[in-house]
Amino acid sequence: MRYAYFPGCKIPHHLPHYGTSVRAVCRALDVELVDIEFNCCGYPVRHESELASVFSAARNFALAERAGLPIMTPCKCCFGNLKYAVSRLHENAALAGEVERLLAREGLALPQRMEVRHLLTVLDRDVGAGTLAERVVSPLYGLKVACHYGCHALRPGKVTGFDDPLAPTVFERVISALGAETVDWALRLECCGHPLRGRDEVISESLMRRKLESADGAGAQVLATACTYCQLQFDVERDRQPYKSPWRAMVPAVLVSQLVGKALGLDETQLGLRGNRIRPPKSVLSEDVS
Amino acid sequence: MDFLDIGLFLASVVCVAFMVRRVARWRSGPGGERPFRGRGTAKRLPSGIKAVVLDVLLLGRTARTGPLRWLAHCLVFYGFMGLLLFHAMGGLVTANLFPGYEPTLDPWQFLRDLLGGLVLIGLALMVLRRVRDRRLRALTRFQDWALLFVVGGIVGSGFLLEASKIISPAMFDSMVAEYGVYDGGPETTALKAAWADRFGVVFSSDRLVTPQRVKLGLEVNEESCAACHSDTASAFIARPLAAALAPLAPAMNRSRADRVFWYVHILFCLVGLAALPYAKFLHPLATPANLAVRAGRRDDDRPGGVAARGLGLDACTRCGECSLHCSVAPSFAVLGNPDILPSEKLASLKAFRDGELSGLGLERFAEGSRICTECLRCTDICSAGINLQDLWLASKPDAAVSVPDPNQAVRAMTVAARSAICCRIEPEGLADNRESFWACVQCTTCTSVCPVVAVSDDPSRDLDLLPQQVMNLLRMGLKDETLGARMVWSCTTCYKCQEHCPQDIRVADVLYELRNTAAARLRQTEGGEG
Repeated sequence: MRYAYFPGCKIPHHLPHYGTSVRAVCRALDVELVDIEFNCCGYPVRHESELASVFSAARNFALAERAGLPIMTPCKCCFGNLKYAVSRLHENAALAGEVERLLAREGLALPQRMEVRHLLTVLDRDVGAGTLAERVVSPLYGLKVACHYGCHALRPGKVTGFDDPLAPTVFERVISALGAETVDWALRLECCGHPLRGRDEVISESLMRRKLESADGAGAQVLATACTYCQLQFDVERDRQPYKSPWRAMVPAVLVSQLVGKALGLDETQLGLRGNRIRPPKSVLSEDVS
Repeated sequence: MDFLDIGLFLASVVCVAFMVRRVARWRSGPGGERPFRGRGTAKRLPSGIKAVVLDVLLLGRTARTGPLRWLAHCLVFYGFMGLLLFHAMGGLVTANLFPGYEPTLDPWQFLRDLLGGLVLIGLALMVLRRVRDRRLRALTRFQDWALLFVVGGIVGSGFLLEASKIISPAMFDSMVAEYGVYDGGPETTALKAAWADRFGVVFSSDRLVTPQRVKLGLEVNEESCAACHSDTASAFIARPLAAALAPLAPAMNRSRADRVFWYVHILFCLVGLAALPYAKFLHPLATPANLAVRAGRRDDDRPGGVAARGLGLDACTRCGECSLHCSVAPSFAVLGNPDILPSEKLASLKAFRDGELSGLGLERFAEGSRICTECLRCTDICSAGINLQDLWLASKPDAAVSVPDPNQAVRAMTVAARSAICCRIEPEGLADNRESFWACVQCTTCTSVCPVVAVSDDPSRDLDLLPQQVMNLLRMGLKDETLGARMVWSCTTCYKCQEHCPQDIRVADVLYELRNTAAARLRQTEGGEG
C-alpha cells in the first residue's frame, strides 16, 4: 500500500503529534506514505471563493497523479473538500474549464484519476480490521471510546462516499479491533463546532459543550477523533476555557492514531500524548490499563 | 577633504541615520504582547555558533532551496566580502596583515579580478533565475533589480576603472613623475615602450615600440617599477578588457576615462553604502543577524519579542522562495491578491506596522492574512531563518480588527447596508437556478436537524432566518434578502440539512454559495472604491 500523504495545513504547526503518530502507525502497518509538496486542500478558502477552493484541490490531485499515487489524508475536512471538488468538477463544466486553464499555466492538466482516502478507511479496508486486531500487542481492553465522526468526511454522503452517512460504522470497527469498547452516544454524528471558530464563538462553543456532555453521559473515557479540526476543537480550543470550567474535566479527546499506536505498542514520544493539552488520565491510556 | 572623503562622510551619515530609524521601528508592533519565551543562553550559544557557521558562512539554508541559488549566493557573498575586506579596506586590513602590500602587486591584482569575476558570475546566475522562472519573475520588483544593478555596477565599474588605468598614458606619466628619476630621458622612452608592448598602455605614438627600447625598458621596469607593479596580465579580466577597448583607447585617454570611471566606481560604492538601510539592501546585514539570533531553528518554537520580529521583517531578502512553496498559492492564482503570498505579505506587514497601509492596500493585506492557513511551510523554507509563522500569528488578529472578514462584515451590517452591497456580478449558481428549489416542500426537516438551530433558544433573534426559510426566499427569487441572514453565516457546513432533505435539495451547498456571493460582492465594492 502506497499513498501520497496529505497532512493538510494544520498538522505541521498546530497539531504536530497527529502527523508523527500517523506516520508511526502507518510505518508499523506497512502503509507506505510518500511525501509530496501539496498545497492547501481548499477547505479554508471555500468560504471566500469556490473557484480558489476547487482549483486548490484539483492541483493536489494533479500532483498526486503525476506521482501515480492515490491520496491519503488523516484530516476529514481535507478529505471532504477534495471529494467535494471532484464532484463539482464532474457536474460543472464551466468550473472544470476554468480549473483546467489555471492548471495549464503551471504545466499541469486536469487529472483523470482523483482518488483520496481517509486514514480510517485505510485502516479498515486496506490494512483490514482483522489484520489490525492481529497486530495489536497491548489491547485497549476496558477502554470506553466515543467515536467522533466528523462532518466533512461523512456528509454529503453522495459526494464523500465515506460510509453510511446516517449510520456509519467504520470508526467503531477500527476502535473495536484495538480491543476497546465503543459507546453509543446521541450526538456522535454532529458537528464539533470548529468551522465557526473565529466566526461565531458562541455557537462554536455551544456545539462543543453539547457534544462533550453527550459523550460524557454515555460513559466514554476518551473521545476519539480522526480529523485535525475536530481535535483542535476538542483539545486546543477547549484548553482556552477557564481553569475551573467543568468542560475541561469532561472526556478528553484522543487522536485515532494515538489509540492505534498505543495498541500496537509504539513509542510514546512518536504518539505525542504529551502534546495533547487536555490529557487523558494515566489510568486510561497507560501500560497497565488492561 | 577630497571627493572621496566628502562622499564617504555623506553616505555614512545617510546610512547611519536611516539605520537608526529602521531599528527604532522594531519597537512598534506587530503584536508585542506575546512574551518572549527565552531559553538559557548556555544552550543557545553553541547552536548560535553552529548557525553562524552553517547558515551564515556556508549559506546552508540557501542550499536547501536549490543548488543554483546557493552557488549564485556563494559567488556573490564570498567574492564581495573578499573585495570589501582586502580591496576596499585594503589600507586597513590587508596592509596591516601583509607588510609591503600594494594593490598593484600579485597576488592582490590577480585575486581582485578573480573575486570580481566570481561576483559577476553570481550576479548573472541570479538574473538568469529571475528571468527564467515565470513565478519568480512575477515576484521580482524594482528593489531586486536595483540591488543587482548596484552590486553589478560596483564590480563592473571597478573592472572598467582598472582597464582604463592600464591603457592610460596619463596614468603612466604621473607614476613616472612621482617615482621616476629619469626626467624624460631615453630610459623613460624605453620604459614607455616596454609598458606599451608588455603591459597594455596605449600611447598616441605608434613608432614607440622597438625591440631595443623594450629590452632596455624591461630592465628599467625591473629596477624601478617591479617592486610595486606586477605584470598587468595577471589581472586576467581587466587586461583583456583593456585590449578589447584598444580601438577606443585614444578617445578614452583624451577624455581621461580612468578618472571618469574612478568617479563612477566610487559613486556606485557610495550609493550602495547610503542605500544599505533601505529595503533589500539591508539583507546582507539583517539576514545573518537574524540567522544567528534564530540559532538554526526552522520552526517557531521561539516566538520573538518585538525586536526579534522587527529584525525578522528586515531580514527578508524578498527572494520569493516562501511564495514558491506557499500552500495557498493556488488561491493567489485565482484571486490575484499578491498579499496572499508570504514574501509580498511580509512587505505589507511592514507597512501595516508603520501605519502606512490604508484603503485597498489594507483590504488586500487583511485578505492575505485571512487566507493564510499557518502551515509553517514559509518558515521552514526561509533561507533567512525568518520566523514568518510567528509574524502571521502575531499580526493576524490586528489585521482582522482593521478589516473584518466577509463573515464579520456582513454580520455587522444593518439591513439597509446589506441590500446596498452593489451587485455587479451575478454568478449562475445554485441559488439562481429555480430547479435547485422547486422541489422544496417546506417540510422543515433541514431546520429540525440543524445543530446551530438546536443550540439557539430564539432562532429568529440569533439567526434571522431558519434554513427552510432561506430556501423559501430563494424559491421566491429573493436572493438578496438572504445574503445578510445570520443563518447563512452561522452555518457550520456540517451538511446535516442536505443529507436529511427528503427532496434532495442542496441546502448546505447553497448556504456556502451565498457566502461566496456576498464575499465576491464585498470584494468588488472594495476594489471599486480603492
